[in-house]
Amino acid sequence: MLDIQGLHLTLNKLHILKGIDIQINSGETVGIIGPNGSGKTTLFNSISGFHQSNEGKLILNGIDLTRLAPYHRARLGIGRVFQNFGIFREQSLLENILIALETKQSFWATIWPWSRQNRINKVRALGFLRKVKLHEKANEKAASLSGGQMRLLEIIRTLAFGAELFLLDEPTAGVSPKMKAEISEIIKKLKKRQKTVLIIEHDINFIYGFCDRVIVLDAGRVVMDDTPENVRKNPRLQEIYFGTKD
Amino acid sequence: MDILPQLLINSMITGSIYALVCCGISLVYGLLRILNFAHGHILMLGAYSYYLCNNTFGINFYLSFLLSFIFIAIFAAFTFKVFINPFLNFNPILVFVTTLALSIMLESLVSIGFGVNVKSLDAGELLNSVEIGSVYITPIQMIIIASALLLLTLVAFVIHKTVTGRLIRALSENSPAGQSLGINSHYVYYGVFIFGSLVAAFSGIMLAYETNLQPLMGNSYTIKAFAAMILGGLGNLWGTIIGAFLLGLVENLSIGLDFGGYSLPAGYKDAFAFLIILVILIIRPQGLFGRTYRKA
Amino acid sequence: MNEYYLHLAIMSCIYLISAQALNLNFGLGGLFNLAHVACYAIGAYTTAILSVDYQYSFFICIFASAILASLLSLILGAISLRLSLDYFAIGTLSFSFIISALLINWKELTRGVLGIPGIPRPQIDSFNFTKFPNFQELITIDFSDNYNFLILVFSFAVITNLILYFIFKAPYSRALKAQSEFIHASQTLAINSTAVRLWSFTIASFFAGIAGSFFAYYLNYIDPSSFSLQEMLFVFSIIIVGRPGSFWGVLFATIFLVLLPEGLRFFDLPSSILGPMRQFLYAFILFTTVYINKGILFPTQRKI
Repeated sequence: MLDIQGLHLTLNKLHILKGIDIQINSGETVGIIGPNGSGKTTLFNSISGFHQSNEGKLILNGIDLTRLAPYHRARLGIGRVFQNFGIFREQSLLENILIALETKQSFWATIWPWSRQNRINKVRALGFLRKVKLHEKANEKAASLSGGQMRLLEIIRTLAFGAELFLLDEPTAGVSPKMKAEISEIIKKLKKRQKTVLIIEHDINFIYGFCDRVIVLDAGRVVMDDTPENVRKNPRLQEIYFGTKD
Repeated sequence: MDILPQLLINSMITGSIYALVCCGISLVYGLLRILNFAHGHILMLGAYSYYLCNNTFGINFYLSFLLSFIFIAIFAAFTFKVFINPFLNFNPILVFVTTLALSIMLESLVSIGFGVNVKSLDAGELLNSVEIGSVYITPIQMIIIASALLLLTLVAFVIHKTVTGRLIRALSENSPAGQSLGINSHYVYYGVFIFGSLVAAFSGIMLAYETNLQPLMGNSYTIKAFAAMILGGLGNLWGTIIGAFLLGLVENLSIGLDFGGYSLPAGYKDAFAFLIILVILIIRPQGLFGRTYRKA
Repeated sequence: MNEYYLHLAIMSCIYLISAQALNLNFGLGGLFNLAHVACYAIGAYTTAILSVDYQYSFFICIFASAILASLLSLILGAISLRLSLDYFAIGTLSFSFIISALLINWKELTRGVLGIPGIPRPQIDSFNFTKFPNFQELITIDFSDNYNFLILVFSFAVITNLILYFIFKAPYSRALKAQSEFIHASQTLAINSTAVRLWSFTIASFFAGIAGSFFAYYLNYIDPSSFSLQEMLFVFSIIIVGRPGSFWGVLFATIFLVLLPEGLRFFDLPSSILGPMRQFLYAFILFTTVYINKGILFPTQRKI
């Protein structure tokens, strides 16, 4: 599905990604781990198109993404969940979902508030909110939610948007343990729906539960790409996280 | 008659004034990523406070300078405390709005206090032009050029050779390292803002001697400074200063030279700076000397 | 005195068009648009030149004003909106200055600081509705009477506000708000943020052109001093006082702020002080409102 070939990226004179090669198949759930500063979030940003890569190629389902703008890549099915919450806090929960539903509709529906399409969207948006049990708060501002609820809202918004490839950037950061379980539930549901999911995570045990593959990044390079069991057994993981044993 | 040397000297004078104005605005942009729309009005205020001391109260040259500098320093600190600092953690639009409001307030207050008419300062023999070779230059213009070069050298020294300068550069790069140096960055902000305002006030006083004073003079210098910033790259201090001299050159050449019997009317001199902004935005948004620019 | 109330009502209607349009751009979209007053000036001058020099009729003038203003802003927006908002602020400010330099210096077209006098009030040929069943008879409504003119400008203000109300309620406004809060998140939802911004800028300029056109028709005389940066500040204060992005807030703030400086009349100030005093009052109101409401005015922009 997604094919990253020899990706290089330089930001503020810092060489952050030094030749990343990753192949991700459709329907896979892949965890990406690595110490701070290893380029995980930067990799996501360059997949989303916020950074133009200096070298290398990004291919999604046979389409070359390398020179496409972020919104264009999103239209091709790349969804993103941000580490610092990508929801729009000033808008209500319902509006947050509606934005995702509205981007693919006709011009008439974008300017005429009472069109049939918009009424359908509202019903669908409430349906999506019900899936994460937030429908009772539909008309409240998203700023009133807790961290975990914001994350759930963002994941369900990405689903409503119709993404095929989910980029989840630390979905459990700033989330209570109880909500962690819910987030892991919803990721499993995504997996059941044959969505491709990439997760950046610090909590290694969290992703071992449901990942098909784990990729370990260190200093802008892929150092391991294997099943969770093999990665966990590999002594290099300890070295990367805690330094070499001398 | 060959007017080119005279035009070059004139553009040097204009460029020096612009460079002095730009210096503060660019340093503040580099540190805080805010555009100060009231910078030109602080220049205007400096000129008027000097006018008040020197002309109205009849205080002598040096003391009036000192008094207006003290006043501008206090005023700049006040401006930063009230109009900029409370809004730094919010949307940058708020600082645009507050400094714009400040500029209008200053303009209207000065209009009420001094009237909207043009005022001028009498510099006596300092305004008599001296002929050097084929160019005419007044002593006041020589002071402008000399002080600009002196001040810019001083700024270069402070920024590149001292501890304070290293701190300013670290904070400008907006790196976490800058904030974690353990020094209260607020003092740096205040210091840089007051310094920039004082340099602006100084150029305002020079301008008052060189041309005249009017409440509307602030606006056009703010926008010239913006033009130089765009020309040199937003937040790039040395690019901006080169941009300021280039702007002076282009302005003077555009109205001074005639292009095959047609020369630009003098009224369009100001519009030219803004045209440059738009052209630069099209062809090279990162500025002539910038490497990267912040994309939306 | 009756004439005076008419004057205030007409000015409110003109500002209602202009302010509500800027509300779409500055209020909802968070774009610091300093070219609004330039578009207003373009509208006024287009109408003045077309109707004085070429005797074009009302609808042609108004349409031409709006189209010219929006076309110029489309070009300006395409240049400066693809960059960060700092560039947009500087770009629009310099556009305003170019326009004001042109107004002063292009004497063949705009007559410089002397301004353009003698702009005729519009006349519209209309059916005589009193003889509705057999409307063969045409009558001409003359808007040189201020009362008639108020009806005309009021109906245009209502139409403009209705259109803008639809836009405020439409999905488009959600996209506009989203890009002002977190542009990257809006892009990952396939919102073309540059296009969304560009549309809001163009629509705002279109209505600014219409407002300027009415301004020229109403005063019969325009000169460059009516289109300074201070004028811009007035429209900004309307939006900030009325809460950016709020349709009804801006509507009431317009009426409130147009009527407000009339309070200054009681102090019996000389006219040389009255003008700057009015500016100071607006700037002060603007600043205090921003200061008090700084936490809730514009959503803080977030970055990745």
